[in-house]
Amino acid sequence: MTVLEQTKVPRSAGRRRRSPLGSRWTPYLFLAPAALFIVVFQAIPLAQEIFLSFTRTTLLNPTRSRWVGLDNFVRIFGDEDFHRTLVTTIVYVVVCVVGAVGSGLVVALLLNKGFRGRGVARALITVPWAAPGIAVALIATWMLNAQYGIVNRFLNAVGLGVPGGSILDSPKYALPAVLATTIWQLFPFTSVVLLSALQSVPHDLTEAATMDGAGRWATFRVVTWQVIKPVVGLLALLMTIWSLRRFELIWLMTKGGPVGRTETLVIDLYSNAFESKELGSAAAIGMVGVVISLIVIMGSRFVARAVTKENLR
Amino acid sequence: MKKRRVRRSMMAATTTIIGVASILLAGCTADSGGDDGGVAKISFAASTFGDPGRGPLLNQWLEEFNKSQSKVQVSAAAVPYPTFGQTVLTQMGSGQGPDLIRFDMPEFEAASDAGLIAPLDDLVDVSKYTLLKQPDQFVVHDGVRHGVIFEASNYAMFYNADLIPKPPTTYEQFVETAKSLTKGDVFGLAFRQTEAEEAGVWQDIFNYVYGFGGKWSDGKTLTINSPDNLKGLQAYKDLYDAKVIPKGADAATFRRMFAEGKVGMELNNGGYVTATRGQNAKLNFNVAPIPFPVRTQGAILAPVVINEASEEKEAAATFIRWTLEPANQVKLQEILGASSVATVTQRSAESLKKTPFLPVFDGLTESSLPQIVLGFEAKTPDIRKVVVQNVVAALQGQVDLKTALDRAQQQATELVG
Amino acid sequence: MRRFRIGLTLRIVAVLVVLGIAAFPLYWMLVTALSSNADLFAERPRLLPDFSHFGVFVDGLAEGKVGGWLLNSLLIAVGTTVLSIGLGIPLGYALSRFSFRGKAVLTVVLLFTQMLPEALMVVPLFSLFRRFNLLDSLAGLILANVAFVLPIVALILKGAIDGLPRELEEAARVDGARPLAVLTRVNVPLIAPSIAATAVISFFHAWNEYVFAVTFIFTPEKQPASVGIANFIGELGTPIQTVMAVAFMFTLPAVAFYLFAQKYVVAGMTAGAVKG
Repeated sequence: MTVLEQTKVPRSAGRRRRSPLGSRWTPYLFLAPAALFIVVFQAIPLAQEIFLSFTRTTLLNPTRSRWVGLDNFVRIFGDEDFHRTLVTTIVYVVVCVVGAVGSGLVVALLLNKGFRGRGVARALITVPWAAPGIAVALIATWMLNAQYGIVNRFLNAVGLGVPGGSILDSPKYALPAVLATTIWQLFPFTSVVLLSALQSVPHDLTEAATMDGAGRWATFRVVTWQVIKPVVGLLALLMTIWSLRRFELIWLMTKGGPVGRTETLVIDLYSNAFESKELGSAAAIGMVGVVISLIVIMGSRFVARAVTKENLR
Repeated sequence: MKKRRVRRSMMAATTTIIGVASILLAGCTADSGGDDGGVAKISFAASTFGDPGRGPLLNQWLEEFNKSQSKVQVSAAAVPYPTFGQTVLTQMGSGQGPDLIRFDMPEFEAASDAGLIAPLDDLVDVSKYTLLKQPDQFVVHDGVRHGVIFEASNYAMFYNADLIPKPPTTYEQFVETAKSLTKGDVFGLAFRQTEAEEAGVWQDIFNYVYGFGGKWSDGKTLTINSPDNLKGLQAYKDLYDAKVIPKGADAATFRRMFAEGKVGMELNNGGYVTATRGQNAKLNFNVAPIPFPVRTQGAILAPVVINEASEEKEAAATFIRWTLEPANQVKLQEILGASSVATVTQRSAESLKKTPFLPVFDGLTESSLPQIVLGFEAKTPDIRKVVVQNVVAALQGQVDLKTALDRAQQQATELVG
Repeated sequence: MRRFRIGLTLRIVAVLVVLGIAAFPLYWMLVTALSSNADLFAERPRLLPDFSHFGVFVDGLAEGKVGGWLLNSLLIAVGTTVLSIGLGIPLGYALSRFSFRGKAVLTVVLLFTQMLPEALMVVPLFSLFRRFNLLDSLAGLILANVAFVLPIVALILKGAIDGLPRELEEAARVDGARPLAVLTRVNVPLIAPSIAATAVISFFHAWNEYVFAVTFIFTPEKQPASVGIANFIGELGTPIQTVMAVAFMFTLPAVAFYLFAQKYVVAGMTAGAVKG
């Protein structure tokens, strides 16, 4: 969670010098079990996936792989459907981040002023976040059911019915529906985190700003925003990560359909592996996702460093 | 001295954690024991074990087998239909999985092509039984028997006899009936039309394609975009566009609706008779042949096979031999409803009285085809995916049907190489 | 004054709207579970729950399957929580208090693993588990889940330990305590809220996990609820009332647990973030 924070000990300082806490090996002993775990269950499988991405391998006989070099990559990048998948992924991630952080901020600001029952309200708001994704997918699918779903019935009643009836089968509305469901699940998290950030904004600062005649917006921009900025950054990063790898919700709601309109990289990867049984191209798609993830992480660290420098100046 | 101690305490901590972890794990794995007392324990995976109505009866039927045996015990693994192929093929691909599997045809072909199914010729001597020839030919590949039919179920038109006193006999009447019944919360017809139900859509469009004289292949090349296929799929799309079906309703929902009298007609296989009764015993429904121009329709063929990776092949074969015994075949058929089984059986007077339309299904056996692509059997799941995606794109108005089929033909041809 | 009133009223209305949006789907789950078929397929839907159909919950549980699913989910979730915290505390401590070669890399690696989707790892893990005989066992699932929550657990705990003054540890060390004792006796009690937060996170992760469970578990009796429920989206469907009733029973413990542990989660999750 504190990944954006800078390491407090300067890099060069601790390298040779013996740690004050014991031997040179002490830290490694502390982290060995966990590191071993991560190597076995993350690094080795990842290495295997990298290998697979250069092969043709079928799920029906995964031990026999044929080396094909960059073939899988050439094929997926030449495939128009994959371009659409990339675009869908970006749209999905960006809308999730903006939607979840934005709505979270609005709700946090609503709850920031004290009123009776605020504790209850804050607790109730977290319900979507706590609900399991599978259950959310089920209820969302049912609520969006073309015939008997409450959402469709409501839309029809007010004359806004989707032509053709079914939202999740409509190439135009399926992605918005999946996005709305995702954001519904995420906003409690962002709002609760932002709320506690807001409460750490020193009162005297906002008061001073108001005294100086600053309007609400100016106070927010000059004081509040400056304090919560790192938290917003962190949330944006988290939302990006989570949205890039979100699977169950999309898979159970649409399986990537209709006509691929909700197919993100993870969905494409899964259906390649388990429906088309092509482990090679699935791995190649996964690698594209991994590279995107790396860019996001490096980018975020770069931004964080730049911001820190800015602040120091 | 101090350094030592530090290191030792760290070691202790590490060992403790690993110890705790392994105790925890041991506790969880303890239940996976080996075989006890020379009894071979085998598992039988089938999606039908989870069906309403049929599932519990099939489990009882397995219990009868277990009671009759002292050396073999079979247990049911209900793997749900939508993920059946994926789940079981993943396991089999890596040398795992249930000993016995009831496959649907597309997955059966893929698995047998990949060498995941044990040849049965040396395990089961089928010459002792009178097998039904038409369905049985599809489970023998190049003279090698890969399975025995567990269930063969022809497609016919289910209709609500209260809503439809006289069933349509031509396609025009069929459309007319569907349209006139659709009002308020009642729909004239229902079929699957979403990508999420890919396997189901494939089953449903099969009847339209073949019922209008089309076919997926001529045995050597794919004929996905042939004019007859276009005609059949156009009929399917016209019904979709005519708003006579509950759009977006999945099979689970619209079959419930059919049982509740909210859907007039449905093209379905004989296996669904029991399930429909299970949902609403009072429903007055009947069955007639599908009234399309050509009397050819799909059939669910479901062979039971032995996993090549099974360590209990002989025990599994014992079970298959037991199922083929005449008395057990009759029982199986009564459980399955209006399906036929591996061998020639006689319908009992009692079951004919209870389900007078059984002969309708039986009469369709000669004209029914398994829902696979002839000549490209093992590639059927991949072809299915391409076809369904493109047909659904056309339903959704993304492209016109002709273009969609041309595209499917091109993509599928690339796939089969 | 008047303006203040209007502002307050608006705020309350807005809060109520947000609450409605947050809670409605869960409420609707309950209403659906308690509807009769006639209500469900009627032209005008029933908007209030009809408790005369409460039997659907009893039937759902009585079937036996559902109880087993929930129990499996619980075992997996508890196992994952215990193991990931057991491994995460020392890792977080090492990251916070020591400087060592490869620390920066390790931090990036931890964050990076958060980006690997389960769907990518499911195939190689499957073959790994086959070799270690971990397929079709709850233990295997626990290990897979721990691998995925351990990094976030460690990072949160690192953040928490960062926030503790070093002086406390030094005092203990002067008294002759060993590093591990320092960690368990001095630091762990102080970061209890953050540990609670990571407990909730790992518990939820494992309670909700689907991809591994659907691939690694073959025996129906070992299925967790997530898989059992997802399977309801089946060919010959279970009545939607039962589906919703079971989904509701799957959701309720999670929500209740979360509400109970909420203050720790918020404190724990935000501690590092806000301070950093």
